[in-house]
Amino acid sequence: MLSYSFSAIRLRKMRAGLTTLGVVIGIAAIVALLSITQGLQATITRQLQTGFATDTLIVSTRGGFGGAFGQGGANAGNSGFKLLVNDTQIINNIANVETSMAIIQRTCNLTRGEEVYNLTTIVGVDFAQYANIYSSAFVAESGEIPLEPENQTVVVGKFVSDAWKNGTLFCNVGDTVDIIWTNATNLPPQYETHVGQVAAVLKEIGGFGVGGPSDYGVYIPISQAERFFGTDECDTIIVKLANDDKATIDNATQAIRDAFSDQVSVTSATAVLSILSNVFSVIQLFLAGIAAISLLVAGIGIMNIMIVSLMERTREIGILKALGMKSGTVLWVFLSESVIIGLIGAVIGIASGWVLANVVAIVFRGGGGAFTGNQVAATGRMTITPLLTPTVTILALVFGVGVSAVFALYPAWRASRLKPVEALRYE
Amino acid sequence: MAVPEQVDTGERRRQMTSVTAIVEAVNLKKTYMLGEVPVEALRGVNLRVDNGDFLAILGPSGSGKSTLLNLIGALDKPTEGKMLIEDIDISTLNDNQLADLRRRIGFVFQFFNLIPRFTARENVELSMTIAGLSRGERRKRAEDVLKTVGLGERMNHRPAELSGGEQQRVAIARALANNPKFLLMDEPTGNIDSKAAGEIIRLIKRLNEEKAVTIIMVTHDQRLAGQSKRVVQMFDGLIVQDVVN
Repeated sequence: MLSYSFSAIRLRKMRAGLTTLGVVIGIAAIVALLSITQGLQATITRQLQTGFATDTLIVSTRGGFGGAFGQGGANAGNSGFKLLVNDTQIINNIANVETSMAIIQRTCNLTRGEEVYNLTTIVGVDFAQYANIYSSAFVAESGEIPLEPENQTVVVGKFVSDAWKNGTLFCNVGDTVDIIWTNATNLPPQYETHVGQVAAVLKEIGGFGVGGPSDYGVYIPISQAERFFGTDECDTIIVKLANDDKATIDNATQAIRDAFSDQVSVTSATAVLSILSNVFSVIQLFLAGIAAISLLVAGIGIMNIMIVSLMERTREIGILKALGMKSGTVLWVFLSESVIIGLIGAVIGIASGWVLANVVAIVFRGGGGAFTGNQVAATGRMTITPLLTPTVTILALVFGVGVSAVFALYPAWRASRLKPVEALRYE
Repeated sequence: MAVPEQVDTGERRRQMTSVTAIVEAVNLKKTYMLGEVPVEALRGVNLRVDNGDFLAILGPSGSGKSTLLNLIGALDKPTEGKMLIEDIDISTLNDNQLADLRRRIGFVFQFFNLIPRFTARENVELSMTIAGLSRGERRKRAEDVLKTVGLGERMNHRPAELSGGEQQRVAIARALANNPKFLLMDEPTGNIDSKAAGEIIRLIKRLNEEKAVTIIMVTHDQRLAGQSKRVVQMFDGLIVQDVVN
C-alpha cells in the first residue's frame, strides 16, 4: 500500500516537490533559528562561566554594572553615592565573605612605539587577589604574573598581545607600552601617559570578561590605577564567598546592600546566568513562533494539494472501492501520501536548516573580522557555533510529519467517504 | 405507451433448476433523487442468476440496467426489496462488509478504469493487494491470469502503451485475479473497435465455457448478446423479457 502512495507522489513530481519545499522551508527555518539561538546561548553561558566564578558577587554603584540587568531602579547613578576602593574593608566583615577586591576601569589608548592598539580597557586590580578569585582565567601563558608587582608592571590579555590573531604580536613579555588616558576631569582635556612594562600575557580565556579577566584587557596594579587616574573611587568590587550555595549568595547579597544603605547593586554570576537563560527562552519562543507560521503555510499548501489530488483521483478512488478497498484503507492511503511528503520535507528541512545555521554563523564571524583591519576592536567578539540538539531534531521531525498529517486529515476523510457508484461516474 | 407485463424470472427459473443461485433479486426497487425530483430507476425487479450462467442484460438507456448492475456488484444498496448474493442480503451489510464482498466480485467497466501509472501486471496485482495476498502469490497469479487473457507478452506495459482491446483484457484479468464468484461487465465492448471487440467476445465466451466463470453483463452489442446463454430485456425499471438462447 505504501508503494501505491509513492507512485501517486511520483506521478506529480513538480507539485509534490513544491509542496515538499513548503515543508522544507518551515522546518529549515525552525531548525536554523533554534540551533543558532541554542548555540548562541551555549556560547554566552560558557563565556560567562569562564568570565565569572559562581562563588563571586559583583558590587557596583546603582546604574552601574547591575543596572544593565534591570536592577538600576529610579535613583540610578544620580545619588552622588560613590563606591571607594577601601570599601572592601566593610564587605570583608560580612559573614561568608572570604575576600573582596576593588576594580578601577578606564578606557585608554595603548601604544608601543609607533604601533597603536586602539581603545582598550585598562583595569586596575590587586594581582594576588585577582589570581586567587579567577584562578582558572587570570593565568599567564608567557611571562609570570607578579603577586607583588612593580609600579610599571602590566599584564595583557591574549588578544592585546596577539592583536591581529595571526601570530604578529603587538606586544610581548618585556616590551614597554604607553597607556594614554584622556583626562577630562578639568577642561580642556589632557592626555596623560602611564609607562608600563609587560610582565605577562594571559592565556586565551574566550569569555566576555564581564567582571572577570578578558582577552582584551590590560591589567595594572590597583595602586597605580588610583594614582594614574587620580581617584580612590572604584567601579566594582568583586566579592569572593565561602561557597556558591543559594542561601550564601542571597544572604551575602542582602547584607552588602544593607551595609551600603541600598545604594549599591549586587549581582551574582548565577543570577546573571538565570536572567540570560530567561531572556533566551523568550527569544527562542518568539523565533519558533515565526517559524511555526511558515510551517502553518506549508500545512495549508499540503491541504491544497491533497484536495486537488482528491478531485483528480475521485474516479480512481471509485475503482479502488469497487475492487474492495475499505474506507479506512482509502483514508490511510491519502494520509500516508501526505506523511511521506512531510517526512521527506522534514528530513531535507533539518539538513538544510543545519546548513543554513552554519552559513549564518560563518557570515557573522566574517562580518566581525571585517571591522578589524589595522585597528583591533577592543571589545570581545564572539563566534556562534550552531547547536543541533536531538530534541530539536526530533521535534522538527514530529512537527513536519504532524502538520502534514493534520492538514491531510480533511481531504483524506472526504476521500474515504466517497460513494463508489458516484466516484466511478465522476469525470 | 403500455407497460409490458413483467416476467418473474426468479420464480420461473427456481422451478426449472435446482442449482444454487449466486445472485437473486427479489422485488428490487431503487429510487434516486435527481435534484428535487425522485427518479425510480428500478421498480420491482426479480432476477435469479445461477452458477455458470452467461447473462446479457439489454435495454435502452435509462431502463435501469446500470443501476441493477451496481446493486448486483454491491456498489449500492436498494431502496426496497432484497439483493441476495449467495443468499446474503446486501442491505444488512455495513460498508466494510460490502467492501469485503466486492473483493470476490469481478468488475469490468466500459472505460477499463485501469490505473494509468501502473503497468498491466501492477494493475492486476492491485486487486489482489487490496484482498491482502502476499507479493509472491500476487505476482504468480497476475502472470497466470494475464496469460489466460492472452497478454503474457505485454504485462510490463502501461495502459497508455496498450490498445483499447488490450486494456480491456487487462481489466478482465484484474477482475479474474481474486477468483471471483462472478464477473460483472458494463458494456465491455462499448469503447473498442469491432475487431478487438470480436476478440473480447471470444475471450468472454471461452471464460464461461472453459473456466465455468459466471458472467453478468450489460451490453448494446447484439453480437455479444447473441453469444450469451441468456438475454434479459429491461424497460423502464422492469425486466420485460428473459430468454434462454
